[in-house]
Amino acid sequence: MPFSTIATPEAKPVANYKMATRMEGGRLLYISGQVAWDAGGNLVGKGDVRAQARQAFENLRGVLQAAGGDVQNLMKITTYITAIENFPAVAEARTAVFSGELPASTLIVVKALFHPDFLIEVEGVAAV
Amino acid sequence: MDRREVLAERPVEKGRGFMPGVSVNPSRVLFTAGLTGRDAAGNLVAGGMAPQAQRTFERLQAILERAGARFDDVVKQLVYVTDLDAYNAVGRAERAKVFGPTRAASTGLVVRRLADPAMLIEVEMVVDLQGAPQGKPLLEKFNAENHPGDFYQGVIVNGGRLLYLAGQVANNPDGSVAGVGDWKRQAEKVYENIGHILKAAGATPGSAVKETTWVLDIESWRRNAPPVRRAFYNGDYPASTLVEIPGLARPEFLVEIEVIAAVA
Repeated sequence: MPFSTIATPEAKPVANYKMATRMEGGRLLYISGQVAWDAGGNLVGKGDVRAQARQAFENLRGVLQAAGGDVQNLMKITTYITAIENFPAVAEARTAVFSGELPASTLIVVKALFHPDFLIEVEGVAAV
Repeated sequence: MDRREVLAERPVEKGRGFMPGVSVNPSRVLFTAGLTGRDAAGNLVAGGMAPQAQRTFERLQAILERAGARFDDVVKQLVYVTDLDAYNAVGRAERAKVFGPTRAASTGLVVRRLADPAMLIEVEMVVDLQGAPQGKPLLEKFNAENHPGDFYQGVIVNGGRLLYLAGQVANNPDGSVAGVGDWKRQAEKVYENIGHILKAAGATPGSAVKETTWVLDIESWRRNAPPVRRAFYNGDYPASTLVEIPGLARPEFLVEIEVIAAVA
């Protein structure tokens, strides 16, 4: 991968993610916040955070693949959810997509996303 | 300067003014602070979303111009609003006016509060710049207008390697939370953690390019954190954004700070 991982014993992650990543080459890819749209532009899983999370992370992967990469190219992701109660379901879907360690990561609970039916949005920065 | 738009195209994305992904060869990159609808005197313009959005993009344009860029060069934008209905009704059109047919990668969030309670929109951008980085300092930090804040409105990274930190919270190495209910202690611990990570990556606080601070309460943050933050950066500030949101990953966390930095 065209990036390296930074770790230090003095500041450790609180979960399964990297504390920081440093780009060492390749192209810098910024990915828009992905929501649970299917290929036809229809919302998948209205009211179902598990289904929305799966679709949003698959869409993130889709953009990476279109850029010639995959999830392992991600240096950083930011996951936005609208209710902290939904975090366990989102974490489960996220783990399924990443299988190993997450990239550097941030989780934020926002007041809302850009449509009232959206429960999760995830954006990323990658080196491809 | 070698921009590629990534088309994992879905019908619904057409005509919405953004791209799923945009990649660049990162030779020179500009990070802007979050800009808002303040006038030259620092007061929020009157009239609500439309004038605030117009003023926000006008100020961003000045920052881009100062770096030799245009809205066509924007790679990523992040739009924070506190009133989604107003944004959809009139704010979105102001954005469309400045971007024309160009589409950047984009994220839109509805947050609880921005710097001023009457502020309805804040926008930050990542911009691909022309020209070779050779012979330039690694970071060029600048302001396009006078302001009293402890931040720069734009930071240009000339070559070097970008460093993306995970959002930092007030956690101890053993996983416990430092300063439960204590804003000042959490601010200290978060900057302490950021300092450790920057050091491990061969960087310093002055290497920070962009900072996004997510807090549960802006007033509490302002009462407690500024001296801690000033001591950390010692005048060598990044571009920054401060946003109030309803929650973080654990209920004990009062603040989370994300930093992008650059090293040679």
